[in-house]
Amino acid sequence: MDLTQGFGARSGVVGPVTGLESLNFSDEFRHLVTTMPPENTGGSFTALLEMPVTQAMELLHFTDSSSSQARTVTGDIAPTTLHPFGALTFPSNSLLLDRAARFSVIATEQNGNISGETANSLPSNSGANLDRVKAEPAETDSMVENQNQNYSSGKRKDREKKVKSSTKKTKSSVESDKLPYVHVRARRGQATDNHSLAERARREKINARMKLLQELVPGCDKIQGTALVLDEIINHVQSLQRQVEMLSMRLAAVNPRVEFNLDSILASENGSLMDGNFNGESYHQLQQWPFDGYHQPEWGREEDHHQANFSMGSATLHPNQVKMEL
Amino acid sequence: IENTSESSPESRRKKPRISEMAEIESRRINEESLKRWKTNRVQQIYASKLVEALRRVRQRSSTSTETDKVVSGAAREIRETADRVLAASARGTTRWSRAILASRVRAKLKKHRKAKKSTGNCKSRKGVTETNRIKLPAVERKLKILGRLVPGCRKVSVPNLLDEATDYIAALEMQVRAMEALAELLTAAAPRTTLTGT
Repeated sequence: MDLTQGFGARSGVVGPVTGLESLNFSDEFRHLVTTMPPENTGGSFTALLEMPVTQAMELLHFTDSSSSQARTVTGDIAPTTLHPFGALTFPSNSLLLDRAARFSVIATEQNGNISGETANSLPSNSGANLDRVKAEPAETDSMVENQNQNYSSGKRKDREKKVKSSTKKTKSSVESDKLPYVHVRARRGQATDNHSLAERARREKINARMKLLQELVPGCDKIQGTALVLDEIINHVQSLQRQVEMLSMRLAAVNPRVEFNLDSILASENGSLMDGNFNGESYHQLQQWPFDGYHQPEWGREEDHHQANFSMGSATLHPNQVKMEL
Repeated sequence: IENTSESSPESRRKKPRISEMAEIESRRINEESLKRWKTNRVQQIYASKLVEALRRVRQRSSTSTETDKVVSGAAREIRETADRVLAASARGTTRWSRAILASRVRAKLKKHRKAKKSTGNCKSRKGVTETNRIKLPAVERKLKILGRLVPGCRKVSVPNLLDEATDYIAALEMQVRAMEALAELLTAAAPRTTLTGT
């Protein structure tokens, strides 16, 4: 985050705080404060800040005054003002700083300069406090933000819908719940009570999944009707299972007849057959497999190992990585 | 059908119509799962594990004399091994894979009691369905059949059953491809090597 970097690079920031910069900073703040309320409803904004708007204005003035102090380079006042700055109003401060950071990096330099010029241990502490403290509220603020945005936008949608329903004489759905539910709009002529909505949601879910199954199973696209599609799906599954049975019988028939030189066989046959079906990169890896004992399956490690292997270019499966409990 | 034009994509995503929502949801689930059964890495993992598992099977059954019975018994073992490897490749995210991996334990434990219990259950079930009910609607009957086909999905809700079936079909297809390739490989190689006994 820019803020942390700004605070961390405090020592490196030497440039004098120009009046222009401080002006920009305060302008940003004003811009933020004035534009935010229309965006969200006033209630949510105060909820975000956890304090009335007036205090935010105070904050604004405070930063103005602090910037002016920086201009005059008074070392004593800066740390003391900075400390309550950090302690009392830190949620809002971090929030506003957060927002400001997104718009400009000037904010960080500003505060960095303020604390840097005094060159005491105290500003470093407060800066660190701000730093640490910023991390937590930033996350919670973003969460609160989202929720509030949902809430407020849900309210907006509600209002919009009601307006539209009154003007256009269409049935609009009743919003059963505000936040975590899907807000739906009913089509014309459809029932809108809760049961029908739930039923419709359920049907839509099932239909969506059926569509995916249809795409998966060959020859299901032309068929109309759930029952027939299901028939096809069942047939497909049964045929696949039967194929597996056949193949396993083939493998069983083949196995005892082959000498136990599977390594050499597979290694030699690697390129020709496997490339057609898989991108058979390397089956020479099989040569490295001795006969293992029985090991527990390790789900997580194998994938990582494989990933690492593939990135190296030569996919070598170490025997102790490929484990399975039979 | 009216569409409210929402500018921000986030709000559009949060307030679509039901059908869109359902479609998005199922697509998200399924595209992930289907694609993962088609990646080359998955296939390689499966193939390599299959080979190793087969070796162990062969090692175990190599001592016995080769008769047809043993071949079919070996076939069953191979199929079960292949299924287990397949289920292991699923990484425990799907119900059927968990059921396959668990069934082995269950089968071992219930070997003795299975014979008695199953016949008793079958009888009672058949009696109930024939006497008490007229035929269930066709779709529901078929869903039940599908639930029986997919391992471990008999009492699963309909949308979940369809999800499981989707993943199961994709996995089966991969299994078939892998086993076919392996069988080709081995049968092509077999004549070259010295035949032992048979």
